[in-house]
Amino acid sequence: MDINAILVIAMFLSFIALLFTGFPVAWVLGGLGILFAFIGQLADTYFDTITGLDYLTLGLVVNRLYKIMDNWILVALPMFIFMGIMLDKSGVAERLMHSMQELFGRVRGGLAITVTAIGIILAASTGIIGASVVLLAVMSLPAMTKQGYSMPLALGTIASAGTLGILIPPSIMLVIMADQLALSVGDLFMGAVIPGLMLGGLYIVYILIYGLVKPAAAPVPVDAKPVTWPIVLNVLRAVLPTLLLIFVVLGSIFGGIATPTEASGVGALGATLLAMYNRKFSLRVLHDVVRGTTNTTAYIFAIFIGATCFALVLRELGGDELIESFLTGLPFGPYGIIFFILGVIFLLGFFLDWIEITLIILPLLAPVISALGIEIDGYGVVDNPELVWFVMLVAMTLQTSFLTPPVGFALFYLKGVCPPEVRLGDIYRGVMPFIALQLIALLILVFWPQLVLWLPANAYG
Amino acid sequence: MTHKDPPSPDTVPLADRIDRLIQRLTLAIGWSYVLLVLVIILQVTLRKGFSHGLIALEELQWHLYALGVMFGLAYAQTTDAHIRVDLFHSRFKTRSKRLVEILGILCLLLPFITVIFLHSLDFLYDSYRINESSSAPSGLPWRWLIKGVIPASFALLALAVLSRLFRESVLLLRGE
Amino acid sequence: AEKILLKTPIAFATNLPALGTTITWVADRLDKVSDGNIRMKVYEPGKLVSPPEILDAVSSGKVNSGYATAGYWQGKIPAAALFSAVPFGPEAGEYMAWMYYGNGLSLYQEMYDSAGFNVKVLPCAILSPETSGWFAKPIDKPEDLKGLNMRFFGLGASVMEKLGVGTVQLPGGEIFGALEKGAIDATEFSQPAIDQRLGLSKIVKYNYFPGWHQQATIFELLVNKDAWNGMSEGQQATIETICMASMTNSVAEGEAMQFPVMAKAKEDGVHIRYWNQTMLDTFKSTWDEVAVEKSAEDPFFKKVWDDLSTFRAGYDLWEANAFLPRSRTE
Ligand code: NA
Ligand code: NA
Repeated sequence: MDINAILVIAMFLSFIALLFTGFPVAWVLGGLGILFAFIGQLADTYFDTITGLDYLTLGLVVNRLYKIMDNWILVALPMFIFMGIMLDKSGVAERLMHSMQELFGRVRGGLAITVTAIGIILAASTGIIGASVVLLAVMSLPAMTKQGYSMPLALGTIASAGTLGILIPPSIMLVIMADQLALSVGDLFMGAVIPGLMLGGLYIVYILIYGLVKPAAAPVPVDAKPVTWPIVLNVLRAVLPTLLLIFVVLGSIFGGIATPTEASGVGALGATLLAMYNRKFSLRVLHDVVRGTTNTTAYIFAIFIGATCFALVLRELGGDELIESFLTGLPFGPYGIIFFILGVIFLLGFFLDWIEITLIILPLLAPVISALGIEIDGYGVVDNPELVWFVMLVAMTLQTSFLTPPVGFALFYLKGVCPPEVRLGDIYRGVMPFIALQLIALLILVFWPQLVLWLPANAYG
Repeated sequence: MTHKDPPSPDTVPLADRIDRLIQRLTLAIGWSYVLLVLVIILQVTLRKGFSHGLIALEELQWHLYALGVMFGLAYAQTTDAHIRVDLFHSRFKTRSKRLVEILGILCLLLPFITVIFLHSLDFLYDSYRINESSSAPSGLPWRWLIKGVIPASFALLALAVLSRLFRESVLLLRGE
Repeated sequence: AEKILLKTPIAFATNLPALGTTITWVADRLDKVSDGNIRMKVYEPGKLVSPPEILDAVSSGKVNSGYATAGYWQGKIPAAALFSAVPFGPEAGEYMAWMYYGNGLSLYQEMYDSAGFNVKVLPCAILSPETSGWFAKPIDKPEDLKGLNMRFFGLGASVMEKLGVGTVQLPGGEIFGALEKGAIDATEFSQPAIDQRLGLSKIVKYNYFPGWHQQATIFELLVNKDAWNGMSEGQQATIETICMASMTNSVAEGEAMQFPVMAKAKEDGVHIRYWNQTMLDTFKSTWDEVAVEKSAEDPFFKKVWDDLSTFRAGYDLWEANAFLPRSRTE
């Protein structure tokens, strides 16, 4: 094994080891990048390697950091966080959750189903996981706790429903994937609609069954009333302002009034107006929202920044070629290789997030997939149907990366807004069944490509 | 990923004072998010209402977001909000936690900050030298201004980290 | 001299025809022609460094080379766009004539030197004309443009702004989404064979020609000057010669691959339109105004613009007499 390969493996192993010391993830990533760059430089000097790493090359981290700063898509992240925190302060969120729960009052797990439904709606308004998870958590966790839900079920529902946004369009991930593979963004967006809704549907079915099997975990509220017309009207009145807000955010995107980024700003203003309408707004509240937005946005972006340093050095060490040459040398058949690749992405998802996987791994895989000779016919309008299908398999697999420990961003976001007594262990336990559901959805897509390809082939007539 | 309450104010007075200063400064900058909301609304109104979107406003959006994000790093450092994997960490003794913190800062975090800070000075200088502006014809001038946010925010982050290092060292020596 | 490893971040993915494939051709040839003496390792966009940061990274030596188009540096050097594509500018033959046998190349290098960038520049590909863009409705008169929001690149964007178009510069991957959502109403990107990859024809059906804003687009290989000066004369000549060969290869590839795609687009219901004379005259006179303004703002822009204009005025005598008139079939 050559020195570069040893360094790549050493980098991954030290990352895992240092994570468990409890030092902040972002700084472990960034620090290791620097450390291994200097190790690479030493290796070049004394061991005749060509890592090309040195102090000068590390300057690229600053260029990459600047590209995070001038990324106008990411502008939406603090705005949706702002919106979420403001909604929380406005008192509207709990009312929404509560009133929607009344609609599902007689159903076991009604509140969890509501969370999933709202998760789907949020997913359709943004591809930003952090904001969805945070918003769902601040809206529903207090209510679920009060109703005596089992903590793992509540946490798992929130984390998985909040993660739907990466799959259901509009999705930043799909935009980046299309860019990486020169595919049509429209085809990918259309291709993701049915798989995304299917996954959300699986969650709901699971919650229903879970409620039947273990009634104590998803209790029906003691004061649950039968659904009558007055209740429906009451619910409508309570829900109306929030529906209006969601309508404004979604509507401004689908109606072509605003980009998703701008819609996030519109949403932030909308939430503020709702707080004013409910007489919950004050300068004090605004100050709290600013504080919360600053804090949450910062710890998320710290990881972006650390990861960009880590990934740069990993690439310079040839970590990507290592993976590529290994894959192309595998002795399995076409489907065997696809399963193997998805398995690897699943495992990588434990440690890396979708950005790194999308940027490092996906471009390496495209030629491998095209060379497998899998033909999917009958979808004339769609360019490269095999690749569109494969991308959707990867996108579905990457859903799990948000939920798998030790590095699962949905888990982190969730932990960030949970009360301190909630342990990461509770969250890990809670998401496990949902990871299983995601893998089931993945299998369904592997064997029925038409679930991906039918819509893009027919939507544009 | 623990959320500790900030240490009680009588523990390490110097570190406390530095942290409070950083928080006041970064929270003031955090109001850029409020400004961002207003700029977005203005842009949407201009473009859809008057068919006249402005590239300068679009660029102002990411300028404001970048301000909030970059200076927020130091704020999150003072509130100890940066994400940790607390699987084992939460069971460590206080003394071990302090050692992890001190070693991590010395071996990982400070080298990272130093490299970025030094390189960002060159990055800033190059932009200033050619008076770089937006590549869009009606975009914002003075790109070096926003590029200067990198060294400024990392200097502030370094200050917050040094304050933490000082606090942990003092408390470790005191045996707390 | 020692073996050279050129680490080359690029501005367009290698799987985009012409925009990206040309540099893999260069990398392959460099290796073979030099007998492995010069290797080029291509890094996909954003992998090491994102496209707008390539110039800075090469100049400061963070990487020793990079492949992009000078129009990307408009914000850093106003004249840069003139070495990328010029509205109502020369076609490939005339552009190369000015570049290699006029003052083009020396002005190109002078531009980077005087702006303080430590790079050696080599024109390393030239692309045939782009389309003028994709619109949802026919554009028959200048008023039809007013109030549109459009993705537009380079010097042409200034022209469109003067005509009442709001322009944005979205990267390729974001265009379809913005168009579909109505955040923009129209867009240009590149040549038919490349635009086709973005799926634009699914949303907007009016594809306008000729690409008055980009009749030919030059791509550049930037090499860090210290790295360049460290090479042997033979290595330098190898790189220069392969870049010149790449100019031939890229223009041939670009000319060959457009018509099948256009024929297919027509079958799929795309209206291929040619700008009427009123529109062409409007674009031209507006561009003339922009060129005057830009020349007034930046002395080096003026220097390059004047030199190019002088060359072209002379070339006119040859051009007007030497070539057969073009026939046009809808
Ligand atoms: Na989404
Ligand atoms: Na994970």
